[in-house]
Amino acid sequence: MSAETPAVGTGAAPRPRRRRTARRLAGWVRALVGLVIALMFLLPLYIAFVTSFDTKAHVFVFPPHLVPDWDWHPYVRVWQMARWGMYFMNSVFITATSIAIALTTSVLAAYAFAFIRFRGREKLFIAVLVVLMIPAEALLIPNYIILHMMNLINTYWAQILPYGASVFGIFLLRQFFLSLPSSYWDAACMDGAGHLRFLWSVALPLCKPTLLTIGLYIFIGAWNSFQWPLIVTTSHHVQPIEVAIQRLAQQHSVDWRRISAAGIAATMPLVIIFFLIQKHIIRGISRGEGIQG
Amino acid sequence: MVVETPETIVRVRRPRTSRVRGGWGLAAWFLLPALLFMVVFVYIPAGLSLTLGFFHYHLLGVDTTFAGLSNFAAALSYPVFWTALENTLIFAAIMVPLTIVLSLALGFLLHVESRFYASLRTMVLLPYITPVIATSIGWLWMFNPQYGILNAVLSFFHLPTLQWLLSSHWAMPSVALYTLWHSLGFDVVIVMAAIGNIPSSVIDAARVDGASSWRLFRKILGPLLSPTMFFLVIITTLGTLQAFSQIYALSGGAATAGGPSYATTTLILLVYQTAFQDFHFSYAASMAFLLVILILLFTLMQSALAKRWVFYQ
Repeated sequence: MSAETPAVGTGAAPRPRRRRTARRLAGWVRALVGLVIALMFLLPLYIAFVTSFDTKAHVFVFPPHLVPDWDWHPYVRVWQMARWGMYFMNSVFITATSIAIALTTSVLAAYAFAFIRFRGREKLFIAVLVVLMIPAEALLIPNYIILHMMNLINTYWAQILPYGASVFGIFLLRQFFLSLPSSYWDAACMDGAGHLRFLWSVALPLCKPTLLTIGLYIFIGAWNSFQWPLIVTTSHHVQPIEVAIQRLAQQHSVDWRRISAAGIAATMPLVIIFFLIQKHIIRGISRGEGIQG
Repeated sequence: MVVETPETIVRVRRPRTSRVRGGWGLAAWFLLPALLFMVVFVYIPAGLSLTLGFFHYHLLGVDTTFAGLSNFAAALSYPVFWTALENTLIFAAIMVPLTIVLSLALGFLLHVESRFYASLRTMVLLPYITPVIATSIGWLWMFNPQYGILNAVLSFFHLPTLQWLLSSHWAMPSVALYTLWHSLGFDVVIVMAAIGNIPSSVIDAARVDGASSWRLFRKILGPLLSPTMFFLVIITTLGTLQAFSQIYALSGGAATAGGPSYATTTLILLVYQTAFQDFHFSYAASMAFLLVILILLFTLMQSALAKRWVFYQ
């Protein structure tokens, strides 16, 4: 499968004789090196997986053994130790609401920047982009104070509203809208469509892939967020799963089987999603670069 | 809603007639939701962040008095602040070069069109989407000096074993190791996207001229990839300065975060602890202010270097 040497990166100056054997050998070496490195990336997840299924006798052995015992007890016990269903639903709610709000505000703002002409448009757009240069660290304390003044500490909203606008989203969607041929708008206009109608039935259906990319970004960010929920919540009832897992790890710091079980259980949904829409994720990352370059 | 101002009528005569209709009256409705969030949660806080450090601020708002530079003076004379600064710089000094070198190496290694290599790429990217806390606690076990796999590997190769997170010397490199594992896949994808954008005719032409692989990289691929490398330097630096979750989890959480003996206390962790565990908001804000200045300095320095080294097509 790796017999053909790729265009980039390997290969010495062509020498007519042993060239083929040398090339084939280089191909195999390359594949082997790649495989070993890729397995190293997988190893930590595999170790956690094995540990989570260990029998008690097998946890504290050295060197660690690498075959799971398929003992489900750690999972059963860890499930009983906390209200995981509630934490999971908290994460789902916070993530879903963040995505919905941020996508809506981004679509509307991007539309205005692309399709509606108003005085100071370019200046305002620059004012939006400037946000990318404000380090998130600078906003931690002031945002806490503002949410405190709004009486929103310890609520879902404290974890959602600060992410209500996505500069990345506005930027990408504006780019996309600007790439639409103006004849679309002319045609819609002829048919008597207004801005909202044009946005809803022409522009939005076309920008589904862009929406998916932005939604994915917000999803990964929101689902994995830890620092902000840790700061703005103390009540377990509104906390997401990451905060709950950290608390479990702190309280039961020697119970490696259960800690690993919780970690694996929390990682699994993302791994499944990852395998389902891997292509979109990769395209999203490759595109995200365009914002700076 | 649509206000027909004289201005819009004049503009109608310009060539791009299609995107003309509207004006502020209409645009405002579309912009308002996003701008509202940005004003409340970005612009006002950004303004606050500049001023907060100069006051004695209390959440209950009883006595907000002007403090001058006293918060800053206190921060600068606090030894842990300097330790945190040092740790932050060490973390960045490990992360940035390793990220660049490894993502370039892996990017070239894995840039092959085949299902085998596609699955290798998947394996490298997988850690990036895993939740940081959930996987950090798995790494805690791997770092365990007595039973962890890392020391098992070291002793397999007859190397001296390490105390990893328990040693004040190795704790920060251990955090960097986890962070590399978690984020490198992202950087590799970016590098591969950039490699994919290089026209193959350029490479073929160089090959026909008999350029060696090293010369090909030095003279052609390097310059063509330099904007990407610069981008990676920037985002790795920013990511390093912002890193919080893994440091918090790997150093044991609430009570022990930043340990052992401040070995993993970075500036952002110190800001967090000062503000949200000790509730010294203004004092913490002054530290955050200094951190932001550090970030600005980094960015300026990197842009200055970029002017010399980065080649834009």
